[in-house]
Amino acid sequence: MKIGMVVLAGGIGKRIGRPMPKQFLLLGGKPLLVHVLEKARAIREIDSVVVTCPPSHLDETRKLIENHGFAEKFSCIVGGASRQESVYNGLRALDGCDSVLIHEAVRPLVSVEEFRALIQAPDDNAMYGIPIPFTVLKGHDYVEGLLDRNELVNVQLPQKFDAAALLAAHEAARRDDVIFTEDASLFFHYADAPVRILPGSEMNIKITVPTDIVIAEAMYVDALGRG
Amino acid sequence: MGKTCVITGASQGIGQAAAIRMSRDPGITGIALIARNADGLRDTAAQMDRSGKEIRCYPYDLGDLDGIPALMRGINDEFGSVDILLNIAGYADPQSLLDTTNDNIVRTYTINVFAMMVLIREAVRYMYDRPSKILNVASTAATTSRPGWLTYASSKAAVVSMSTTLADELAGTGIKVYTISPGRCATDLRRILAPEEDLSTIMQPSQVADVIATLVDDAENTLDGQNIVVRQKA
Repeated sequence: MKIGMVVLAGGIGKRIGRPMPKQFLLLGGKPLLVHVLEKARAIREIDSVVVTCPPSHLDETRKLIENHGFAEKFSCIVGGASRQESVYNGLRALDGCDSVLIHEAVRPLVSVEEFRALIQAPDDNAMYGIPIPFTVLKGHDYVEGLLDRNELVNVQLPQKFDAAALLAAHEAARRDDVIFTEDASLFFHYADAPVRILPGSEMNIKITVPTDIVIAEAMYVDALGRG
Repeated sequence: MGKTCVITGASQGIGQAAAIRMSRDPGITGIALIARNADGLRDTAAQMDRSGKEIRCYPYDLGDLDGIPALMRGINDEFGSVDILLNIAGYADPQSLLDTTNDNIVRTYTINVFAMMVLIREAVRYMYDRPSKILNVASTAATTSRPGWLTYASSKAAVVSMSTTLADELAGTGIKVYTISPGRCATDLRRILAPEEDLSTIMQPSQVADVIATLVDDAENTLDGQNIVVRQKA
């Protein structure tokens, strides 16, 4: 079984309010992207890793990969105009893989064990998810409907898919010109195959807004036992 | 598999004593000695326990920062790994502020700080994801006021800061970083800093080397980043 991995590093730094894309922000002195790639390097079962990044940061990302010694199985390509297109381009670059993991640079606190458990899960298609601890309602200016949080799941990455099935699902979405916010949704919509939900971790936060990096620093120090 | 230990400043003083001490460690099978003085390196090598060990001398002026990557790559290629880096090389030319030349400032910082930083950067390329240790020698001058030692003392303060930061930045990689700050120690460098002192009455380099050996031993697994002051008790 040949396993590939797509790492999305396509941010341009809009929401985080910094002059650099989020994947280059430092956590514990290392760029977020490096935290993720270090975990991928530690897992021998992963044969090849493709990092997708904006064209404006291709050289910088490649330099980062080289500087941190991610030489052999790591490569970097230009992503796409959307997250979905970046995954699609990454999948095409991983031609020949049987299974593919999808992860993103802005989830640096993912653990090696989470990647391993995902790979070893018997299901071909699986994702991490955690319960939603707060109430969610439909609506904008007014409440328009109720949602039962017990029926919902907070989707986390990494995710694992049958590579050919995910590529086919992406091609279908491209034909329909439909955009999804992540791949479990897209796969569920187009592929006739179940997606297993594995219990995720509160540690595996996504760095989205400036306060997230402050929280992540505290979590990282705690995880290292250096608090 | 045995470990490879790289030692800078190995031609004299604490560096020489550390080299001799590390050669008695059965877990270390390769030792790379670096210093400007080739004769001094040969003298060090002659005093080391060579049984079951590969010892190589690398005469090199650490003032040439650009050559350090090739130096470290060569060591890694020849020994097969870099597991322990002892940054012991130091430079001192104590002057009062108004007598301190630009050359003095640049040379002191180049050897004591810049070269150390480059050595660490290049060594880490070969240490990643493996239990490894880096030990940097600072000085008690790093944390106390030493009028007349401006460049030396401040450069050693940089070493302490660098080590603390690196210990955190490299946390989780398996690489541990130590700083030791020897107090008065009977070295040629001390002779420059305090020419009036009787070196036979103060701490000897071999005593500091014993502390270094303890820290870089596999059994030491609780310290990381601390500045450890090493002084002879009265």
